[in-house]
Amino acid sequence: MLVYPQLGTGALSQFPFRTVRRTRTVVNAALDGSSVKVADAAGAMTDWTLGYTALSDAELAALEQFFASAQGTLNGFTFLDPAANLLAWSGTLNQPAWVRDPQLSIAGGVADPAGGSAAWSLTNSGAAPQAISQTLPAPGGYVYCLSAYARATSATAVTMVVGNSQAGRVVQTQWSRIVLAGSGDASAAEIGFGLQVPAGAQVDVFGVQAEPQAGASLYKPSTTGGVYQNARLRDDQLAVTTTGLSRHSCTVNITYVNHL
Amino acid sequence: MATFPTLKTHAAMQYPATRQVRYQNQALRFLDGTEQRYRDCAGPLLRWRIPLSLLDEGEVAAIEQFFADNQGAFGSFAFTDPWDGTVHPNCSLETDTLQTTASGEMDGATVLTVVENRG
Repeated sequence: MLVYPQLGTGALSQFPFRTVRRTRTVVNAALDGSSVKVADAAGAMTDWTLGYTALSDAELAALEQFFASAQGTLNGFTFLDPAANLLAWSGTLNQPAWVRDPQLSIAGGVADPAGGSAAWSLTNSGAAPQAISQTLPAPGGYVYCLSAYARATSATAVTMVVGNSQAGRVVQTQWSRIVLAGSGDASAAEIGFGLQVPAGAQVDVFGVQAEPQAGASLYKPSTTGGVYQNARLRDDQLAVTTTGLSRHSCTVNITYVNHL
Repeated sequence: MATFPTLKTHAAMQYPATRQVRYQNQALRFLDGTEQRYRDCAGPLLRWRIPLSLLDEGEVAAIEQFFADNQGAFGSFAFTDPWDGTVHPNCSLETDTLQTTASGEMDGATVLTVVENRG
């Protein structure tokens, strides 16, 4: 499927950008001020307004190529919310969205670095490294950043996985944030994110986050994730203003509707 | 039931915040100029308009999650009035729309309107 292009920096958007989330509630209002409400779960919509300035020629060409491929509002595409944690259920590692290797056990309710008890303990009782991972229907060729807060009872090397990229990160006895930026197979339509715990080790983790950019931003807990398949452009025209040599600006409006 | 999110400062609101008290009265006017008024509701209802700015990404995410958990105006929750600390057990968001603007890193803004429900 067609995918929305990243900028040359690896980011999907620039500041400022606007997100509007809409739900649909049918309200039967009575004269006494009370009401009966019915929710329409399928009626939810999300709109993004992405303003771009100082785009290079190459970045503008990528956007125009994308606009031509989408043929304006006609064709759907995969869009990654630039402000979201792409992972689903980032704070609930026992959800089915997460895949665990068989020798890896998890336990929740562990004290986290934010002062709560939302961290998870990962224990590898096997003789080989074991991973917990999530695969997203997102373009493999994008630049992604995987981050998590981690600690262990003694210094332990944890392997972070982003598509084809893997790197070891030493987890200390105090909470620290481990980060890996990387990408996967450019032709793949999905990409995996994971944490691999070495044999016999126990690691506490909190705030696992994947973002479509090269650096980690503040942790955002998620339940649905930030991958929107079959999003669409909201306009049939793309107006570009050129303010100088290789300096262009434009605004792109994107919409995602559950029931389409 | 979802819990109304507080900011990292543990405050629910920022200045300028607005609280509105609303009655629902009816007036019957007669030809001689007199009128008869009556109360058409069991009591007043409150409404809070909460503009928020300079939010970090985590605070914006918490507000978006709260909006999603409530399915917009559908769900109800208990809201603690920041003016007097009274807990109003049956409140909702006023609209089915949540707009957030990110003007920069740790510079998000949005507006929430909470209304008290009858019954």
